[in-house]
Amino acid sequence: MRKYISESLLIILPGFILFMISCTAGSCFEETESYLKASFYTGEVTPKITAPDTLTLYGLNNDSIIYNKSAKIQPALIPLNSSTDSCTFIIKINGVTDTIKFQYSSYPHLISKECGYTFYHHLSDSVRTYTRHAIKNIFTSNMTITNLNVENIRIFY
Amino acid sequence: MWRTFAYFINLLLFLICGLIQVNAQDTIPIPLKIKIGMEVSGPAIHYFDKNILNAEGYISVDLDEKRSVVFAAGYLNYKYNQYNYTYLNKGSFVRVGMDFNLLKPDKSLGKYYAGIGLRYGLSRFTSEVPSFEKTNYWGTTSSSIPKKTYWGHFIEVSPGVRAEIFKNFSMGWSISLRMLLYTGTGKDLKPVYFPGFGDGTKTISAGMNYYIVWNIPYKKIKAIMKKDVPEETDDTKDTGTTGNNQQGSGIRQ
Repeated sequence: MRKYISESLLIILPGFILFMISCTAGSCFEETESYLKASFYTGEVTPKITAPDTLTLYGLNNDSIIYNKSAKIQPALIPLNSSTDSCTFIIKINGVTDTIKFQYSSYPHLISKECGYTFYHHLSDSVRTYTRHAIKNIFTSNMTITNLNVENIRIFY
Repeated sequence: MWRTFAYFINLLLFLICGLIQVNAQDTIPIPLKIKIGMEVSGPAIHYFDKNILNAEGYISVDLDEKRSVVFAAGYLNYKYNQYNYTYLNKGSFVRVGMDFNLLKPDKSLGKYYAGIGLRYGLSRFTSEVPSFEKTNYWGTTSSSIPKKTYWGHFIEVSPGVRAEIFKNFSMGWSISLRMLLYTGTGKDLKPVYFPGFGDGTKTISAGMNYYIVWNIPYKKIKAIMKKDVPEETDDTKDTGTTGNNQQGSGIRQ
């Protein structure tokens, strides 16, 4: 009888130990922000990816500055407002000021259990309106804005 | 004529020898059982963490000493709070499949199980995010995702062991490795956790189940003990060869 019980315990105890080990909490290691990724190009005929010498970027009616005369930013990470369906940015490329307005729709996306939810965005067909002081053209390469490192627009200056 | 007769006799002897060999194989009585099991780690976890209640049980019927058909069902009520969101999931699930006991009959004796289970799982659940917040450059956005019902499908491999502790009562555990086939929620609103599967944000989910099982014997069978005795086989061959040789040598003489 004793042998019978000890054999059974040999089978059952490892399971209990494994069960205790398996109860471990996780942490968030993923990117949780969905930025619009804007790459900078010069030359419209033969485009060449070129970061501006200085870049200043901030949202219209927002006191915080995203980039302040920052050098060699490539790509620029532009946060969109998920409470509204459009937002406007003031952008200074090498000291010359332009404005860009983006129109989009936002929808929730679960990143992971540990990281929780974020908002993804989808740029509208009439993507953006912009002034053309330093900017020559804006080309949309990917309309879906996610937390992945994928270029969304190309700014030619 | 004599040659045909000799061939016929040889064939008959060969068949008789084979028949005797089969009858000579050892057999062992194995009780086939209907097993009713309850998963105990779910209620135990609920005792310490009121946010998760997983109740699960199964019925399995032995087909023979190796194989059993399994039907499992369960219920989940899950609540998860993270710094920026709350998630609720409630629903039930079924799993159907087979258990394969890898122990030989003389080791298992109808009391011990060390084997592998294969299952298909179907889950019906309601998923809801009552509130979540996201803060970025523009401030904090608060939102929610309303309650909606989905069907999830998955497959499972579950190696495990069970041992009879008292007469007709077993205990055991199994590791469950599950592969998600479909949640129905789309790629943006994957369920944080759903019944029968676990973490729905990942394609592969692992879990551990701990069972108490009531066994109801319903039939006894005689399981054949297969013995690996290559020497005997060689002897048989040798005997046959010797006979032929003797015959051959007789002809030669």
